Amino acid sequence: MASVANAQLGRELASIVGDEFVCDTAAPLTGYAIDGVRPATWVIPQNANEVAAIVRVANERRASIAVAGGFTKQSMGGVPAQIDILLRTDRLNRVLHYDPGDLTIGVESGCRIGDVVSRVGQDSLLLPLDVPRSQQASIGGVLASAAFGPLKHNFGGVRDYCIGISFVTGDGKIAKAGGRVVKNVAGYDVMKLMIGSQGTLGVIIAANFKLFAAPKQTRTFIAEFEDYSSAIKYRDTVRTSPLTPLCFELISPRANAYFDGITNERYSIVVRASGSDTVLARYRKELGGSVSHELAGVEETRFWKSVQDFGETVQKRHQNAMVFVLHLAPATLEQVMVSAEQCGLEQNLLYCCVGRASVASMVCAYVPLSVDPPAVTQFANAIGELRKKLPPEASAIVLKCPREAKAYFSVWGEPNGDLEAMRAVKQALDPNGFLNPGRFLF
Amino acid sequence: MGLLEATTQLRNLLGTDNVLSRAEDVMLYEYDAGVDKGLPGSVVFPATTEDVSGIVKIAVAEKVPIVPRGAGTGLSGGAIARDGGIVIVFTRMNKILEVDVANQRATVQPGVVNLDLTSAVEKHGLYFAPDPSSQKASTIGGNVAENSGGPHTLAHGVTVNHVTGLEVVLGDGRIAQFGGKVAEGTGYDMCGFFTGTEGTVGIITRITVKLTRKAESIATLLAIYNTVDDGANSVVDITREGITPTALEMFDGLTLRTVEEATHAGYPMDAGAVLLVELVGLREAIEEQAEAIARVCLANRAREVRRARSEAERALLWKGRKNAFAALGRLTPSYYTQDGVVPRTKIPETLRFIAGVSEKYGLRIANIFHAGDGNMHPAILFDMRDPSQLERTVAAGAEIIQHCVSVGGTITGEHGVGMEKDKLMPLLFSESDLEVMKLLREAFNRNSILNPQKIFPTTRSCRETGAAAISPELRKA
Repeated sequence: MASVANAQLGRELASIVGDEFVCDTAAPLTGYAIDGVRPATWVIPQNANEVAAIVRVANERRASIAVAGGFTKQSMGGVPAQIDILLRTDRLNRVLHYDPGDLTIGVESGCRIGDVVSRVGQDSLLLPLDVPRSQQASIGGVLASAAFGPLKHNFGGVRDYCIGISFVTGDGKIAKAGGRVVKNVAGYDVMKLMIGSQGTLGVIIAANFKLFAAPKQTRTFIAEFEDYSSAIKYRDTVRTSPLTPLCFELISPRANAYFDGITNERYSIVVRASGSDTVLARYRKELGGSVSHELAGVEETRFWKSVQDFGETVQKRHQNAMVFVLHLAPATLEQVMVSAEQCGLEQNLLYCCVGRASVASMVCAYVPLSVDPPAVTQFANAIGELRKKLPPEASAIVLKCPREAKAYFSVWGEPNGDLEAMRAVKQALDPNGFLNPGRFLF
Repeated sequence: MGLLEATTQLRNLLGTDNVLSRAEDVMLYEYDAGVDKGLPGSVVFPATTEDVSGIVKIAVAEKVPIVPRGAGTGLSGGAIARDGGIVIVFTRMNKILEVDVANQRATVQPGVVNLDLTSAVEKHGLYFAPDPSSQKASTIGGNVAENSGGPHTLAHGVTVNHVTGLEVVLGDGRIAQFGGKVAEGTGYDMCGFFTGTEGTVGIITRITVKLTRKAESIATLLAIYNTVDDGANSVVDITREGITPTALEMFDGLTLRTVEEATHAGYPMDAGAVLLVELVGLREAIEEQAEAIARVCLANRAREVRRARSEAERALLWKGRKNAFAALGRLTPSYYTQDGVVPRTKIPETLRFIAGVSEKYGLRIANIFHAGDGNMHPAILFDMRDPSQLERTVAAGAEIIQHCVSVGGTITGEHGVGMEKDKLMPLLFSESDLEVMKLLREAFNRNSILNPQKIFPTTRSCRETGAAAISPELRKA
C-alpha cells in the first residue's frame, strides 16, 4: 500500500532533517500540486549534506524528486506521473559571500531573487535577474529554468553572469564548478549544463554571480507603429545605430492590455537608456520623431514591472491562456510574429507578445476568445502549426497552458541540438533518472 | 594494431600528403607556446567533418589517443600529445562558411584564424570580440576549446559568451550539432558546456559565433604611477565607480621599461606602473567615463593621465601591450607566466605578495596583466641553463598560484588547465567535484582517446617538462 511506503519514506526523511521539516499529510501538500499531481511528501533540508542524504534515500527507494523554490515556474514541463518527494529549498537561504568591491555575490538556491536584488541595490549594484514574480522566485528556480527578463538585452542571460555553482547530482554526489572570480577556465563549465536543465541533472545548492553597477539614471522611450513591419524596421535602425540601450523591447498591440497604466493599440518599440542628461539627450536625438512617450520615475518603474511580469499577468487574468517563449534569430522576428498571429487566429486564439526585440527572445501568449471555452486541441494545433512555420534553429517552449492540453503536444518541442548527447549528460549526472522524471526531455 | 596500423588507415582515408609520421616532420608539433612537450606518432590534416569522424573511428579501433590542435599558441599544453598518438591539425579546415550580417553571426571552420574573422567582417562594422594576444595566429577552434579571453573581454565576455552553435565529433566518431544562430532553445546548453573542455569531450568541427557591432567612439587612456600600489588601488576604485572599461591592463615598472625599449610606444621609462584603459561606446558616454577614470586615477596619485589623440597613438600603445611578453625576451633567456585570477580588491595585496616571492627566491618577476578582471600574469624571469633557477621558478610559480586560490581566486583565467596545471586542480576542486566532471568526460569519451591526461590530475610521475622547450619569443599572454 502506497501510504505505508510513504510513511516509511517520511520517517527516513525525518531522520535526516527532523520531523518538523517533513510533511506527508495530504492537506498542506495539496497546495504544492504540480499540474494537479500532489506530492506524496515534502522535505525541507538546510544544507548540501542533507540534500545528498535525501537524494540517496530517494535512489534506494526508487522515489522521484521534484525540487521547488518559490513555486513560480512549476507550470513548466510535462505533467509528472507522480512526485514522491518535493524537495523544498526554503531553508537554503543564506548569503554565502558578498563582495561589493569585487562585484560578486554567492547565495544559496532558496534565496528569493527580490531579496538578493534589493540587498545589492543598497550598494548601487545590480543583479540583472528581472524575472517574473521576482519577490517569490528563487535563485535555484531561475537557474534551473533559465528565466530571463528585459535586462537580458544588455547583460545576456543568467548563463553569462553565473560564475560558480554547487549542486547535488541525481545519485547524491556533492559537487561544484566554477568559482568566485569573474574570469575562470579551470575545469568543466557545469554551470552551463545546470542552467536551464529544469531540475533534471541535480539539485542546485548555491550559485555565485557577477554583479554590475546599477544605472544612476534611466529613461524609457516608446515609439509606436501601425504594423510589425514598420516596428521592426525601426528596431533595425536602432540596432545598427551607435546607441547601446539597457533594454530594447517589442510589444504587440494586445499586450498593452496587460500593462499597468498604459493604453496603446499599436506596435511599440521601447528603448530604455541609462546615463547622464547629455547621454539621454543623445538618445532623444537619435530615436527621433517616432517616440511618442518618454517615461521616467515611478511611471517608468511601473512600466518595466509590467514588462517583467507580462506572462504572469496574462495567466492570472485568463486561467486557460497559453504562455510560451520564442527564441529566434533576430532577422526572422517579423516573419515569426506574423506566423504566430495567424496560427492563433486559425484556432480562435488571440496572440500577444512582449519581448527582447534585438536578441529575439519573446514572451508570447495565446488567449482564448471569451465567447466560448477553448478545446484543448486548439492549443496543440496553434503551437504545432507555429512550430512548423518556425525557421530552423528557432524554438517555441510552452511555459504555461491548461494541464489537459499537455496530453496533445510536447511543451518543449524539438531539442536544439543532438538529443543523444543530451541523454549522455543526463545519464552521467542522474543515472537512475529520479530527478523530475517526465517533465523535461527525458 | 596500434599506431602503425592507424597510420596506414589514415593515409588511405586522407591521402599520403595529409598524414605525417616521420620523426623530423612530427617534431614540429611536439610543443605549444608553453613549457611542455610530447611527440606525436602521426600528424593528420583533415579537410572535412567526415574526415575528422573517420580519424576518430580509426583511433578508437586502434586504441590510439587523439589530440586536436589549432595554431599551437596555447600556453597550457592543451594541444600537446602527452601520450603520443594522432595530432589533428586544422589548417585545411580554415574557411569562413557564412557571414550573416542581419543576425550578426558567422559560421566558421575551426582552423580560421581569430583575427581573420574580424578582418572579414569589419567592412560591415562588425568584429569578433574575444581577442587573445595570440589572435594573429590562434584559431577559433582553439579559442573555443580553451575558452580564450583577451584584454578586451572585460566588457564583452570571453569566448563562451560569443559561441551560439557548434558541430562536434564525439569520442565514438559520431557527429553532433548543438545550437546554431540561435543559442537558446529546448534542451541542455551543450554549446556552453563544450566550450572550454580543451578537446577532452569532442573535436570541434564547425562554430557559429556572435559578431559584435563596432562602437561609435573609443578612448584609450594611459595612467602613469610612481608605485604599483597606486595603480592597483585605481583598479579597485574604477570597478567601484561602476565603469566597465572594455580593457583595463596594468604593467609594472620592469615590464614598462622593457616594452618601451622594444616598441617605443611612448611609455614612461621611470614610472612604477601604468594602467592602460580603453572605453568604447556612445561618444557622450565615453567622454564622461574618460573624465571619471582620469579623476579616479589622479585621486590615487597618478602623476599623469594621457589620452591617445589618434588611432596611430592608440595602436602604438596596444602594440606595446600585445608584444609585451615577447619584449621580455630582452631581459631574460626564459620566463614562466602564471595565469591565476584574484578578486579585484585583492590585486594590491597580490602584487605585494608577488614582490615578496620575487625577493624570497631571488628571481625577477614582471607583471603585465588584465587588471580589470583580476587576471594576473606574473612572468618569472630565469635562466634555463641554471637548474637551480628552474627549480626556484617552479616553486615561486606554485606559491603565487596558491596565494591566488587562498584569496578566493582560481588557477587559470584564460590559458586553460591542459597538462600544465592538472596537478593544481585539487587546490580548487574536491575529489567529488572532479569525479562529476570526469563522469561528463566519460559520457562522450568512453574510449578515453580524446586528449588523454589533460585537465584532471594524473598519477603519472614522469611528466616531461623541458625547460629547453621554453621559448621566449613564443610566450604570449
